Parts: sequence; C-alpha cells; structure tokens
Amino acid sequence: MNHLDDDAELYALGLTDRDRNAEIEAHITDCADCRARVIAAEAAAAALAATLPPVPAAARRQTWWPALATAAAVVFAATAAVQGSASYTARAELERTDVALTAIASSHFGHTTLTSEPGVVAKALYARDGAWCYVVVTGAPRGAHVVLRRGAATRDAGTLDAGGAATLFVRAPGHPDEISIIADNHVVAHGAPVY
Amino acid sequence: MALDEAAFENAYRAHAARLRAVAFDILRDRDGAEDVVHGALLRVWSTGAYRPERGPLLPYLIACVRREALDGLRGSKRRHLREVRAGMDAPRAVDETAALDPIEARRVARALECIPDVQRDVIVRAYYGYRTLAEVAQDTNLPLGTVKSRLSAGLRRLHTELTEGLR
Repeated sequence: MNHLDDDAELYALGLTDRDRNAEIEAHITDCADCRARVIAAEAAAAALAATLPPVPAAARRQTWWPALATAAAVVFAATAAVQGSASYTARAELERTDVALTAIASSHFGHTTLTSEPGVVAKALYARDGAWCYVVVTGAPRGAHVVLRRGAATRDAGTLDAGGAATLFVRAPGHPDEISIIADNHVVAHGAPVY
Repeated sequence: MALDEAAFENAYRAHAARLRAVAFDILRDRDGAEDVVHGALLRVWSTGAYRPERGPLLPYLIACVRREALDGLRGSKRRHLREVRAGMDAPRAVDETAALDPIEARRVARALECIPDVQRDVIVRAYYGYRTLAEVAQDTNLPLGTVKSRLSAGLRRLHTELTEGLR
C-alpha cells in the first residue's frame, strides 16, 4: 500500500470514511513513517479538542448501565465469531472487556471471575448497591441458568441467552452471597461477589 | 499484552471529561455522547487495538471518539442535526474563556492565528463546523483536492506551531 500522505491528517480529523480508516490503521501498523505522521496529526487534533466547551455538568446522565450492557453484548457478539473454541482466547476477550467495564465506572460496580469447569469462562459484573448483575459466560451449555444464593435462599434469575458469549442481565438481584451457572442440575460455574 | 491496563484506566479517569466534550459538541446529546465514549472505549479494549508504539493514549482516544461521534452525526437518525448545522452562519471562532482547558485553548488559538488564512479557514469549517470534505468543498467553492491538501498542510502547520511555540 502507498503511503498515506494527506490522509494521515484527514484521518486524525475524522474526515476519512470507514473503509479508508481500516486501510490506514493496517498501514500504520507496519509503516513507521506514516505512523509518526498520524501521531503528530492526532496530537494537533487533540489540542483543538481542548478548545471545546465542557459538557454542561448538571445534566450528566445517571443511568448509563443499560446502554453499556448493550455495548458489551455487541462486543461479545462480534468477538465470538472469530475467537473459536479455545477457552484461553475467550478468557482474553472476557478480561479485556471486563477491564473496559471496570475502568468506565469502577466506583459503581465490582466484578468477579467465577470458578468454572474447563472450557467455560464466566464473569459476573454487579452493582455494589445491588441494583443489577450482569453475567457473561462463554462455553456454557445451551439453556444454562443463573442462580443467585443469599444465605439459605436461592433465586433462579433466568436463562442465559444463546450465543458464543451468553449473557444475562438481572435487575435488582440484591446482594447474593454466591452466583452460580447451572445446566442440567449441574454447577458449571460459581463465585462470590465482594461488595 | 496489548495494553497497560492500569495506564488505560488512569487515562480514562483523567480524560473522560475531554472525551465526553468531544462527543457532546458533535452530537449535542448527553446520552448519545456518553454512549459514543463507552462504545469507542469498548471497541478499543475489546480488540486490543491500542499499543504504546501507536502514540500517546489521549490523542488516540480523542480521535477514536471523534470518528465515532461523526459516524453518529452522519447516520440517518441524526440527519436533522446536520440540516440544522448546514444552516449555521460563519464557522465559530475559538472561545477561550468557555473552553474545557482555557490555558491550552489560548495556546491553540494563538497557534491558529499563525497559520495561513486559507488553511485555517478549512480547518475551522471541518473541525468546529463538523462539515465533511465534500461539504467544505461546496461551502468554499474549492476543488476537493484543494480542500484536502489545505487541511493536511494546515494541521501539520498547527502541529509545528504548537510544538515549536512552547518557548
């Protein structure tokens, strides 16, 4: 591929189309000269961003979680197609996304990796105030359930959706002591949230 | 490991306000802006697209968020916003006092004054007016190639002014 020339700056300004963006990103992985040019252009564009007004403070959104959960589900759906069946790959994907979610609002929620059978990777993200819990599992048997236990009481929170990375969003789970993934009366993963 | 997780998290916390401002100024919609920031970050993280050799993190993220927000603006759902913007008068100038980072904004405003008028004009139209290349060409009656080369040269000149103007 030829060098980027003017497209380096146009890319940094967001003026190139998606197809071209993909080509540019591939090119700068290998071409140090063009990469340096893009980096310089992005630095100048970032300086322009400093001149923008801040978002009006009073109206910051409070309830961002559902949109975020959707975004995470989309990411999983997209990555599931290419990650194959190797569990270590699934684990890497889960960890990356988990870092994203944690970083986005680490003060709001906790996360735990459930102890699971070989071939299964399960994570739970949960609001510390008990408002929601989000369970993401790769490699779970179809139709697996999420079961919450608090003390002696258990609650079947529902069935994981189908897909390479199965998810379940649970509203108002409270503060369960344990989150389990159960299929055919068999525990395939379990773990304890820390609030 | 594709990225330093702690560095990434710190960067997000430190710079989320700027990322939101970039998206909000384009979309004029707080929820939409928040979604764009989250979406861009999730994409970056989930694909492991960022590596340190790719350059400083914040400018990279700002560029990602801007691209994502512009995609949103140019999608059909937001076409009405585009119509509104198309009716705007002259591109706005930098208002240092209202900026997210007034000190940096002042430096940038001075640097912008140092670049040739024809280059500054297309940068302001594209950057602050959120016009596409074709729209800038239409607004200025310039050939598309001229718009591209002026934007490119202008941004490079701006970078030079900003890096050498530190004295």
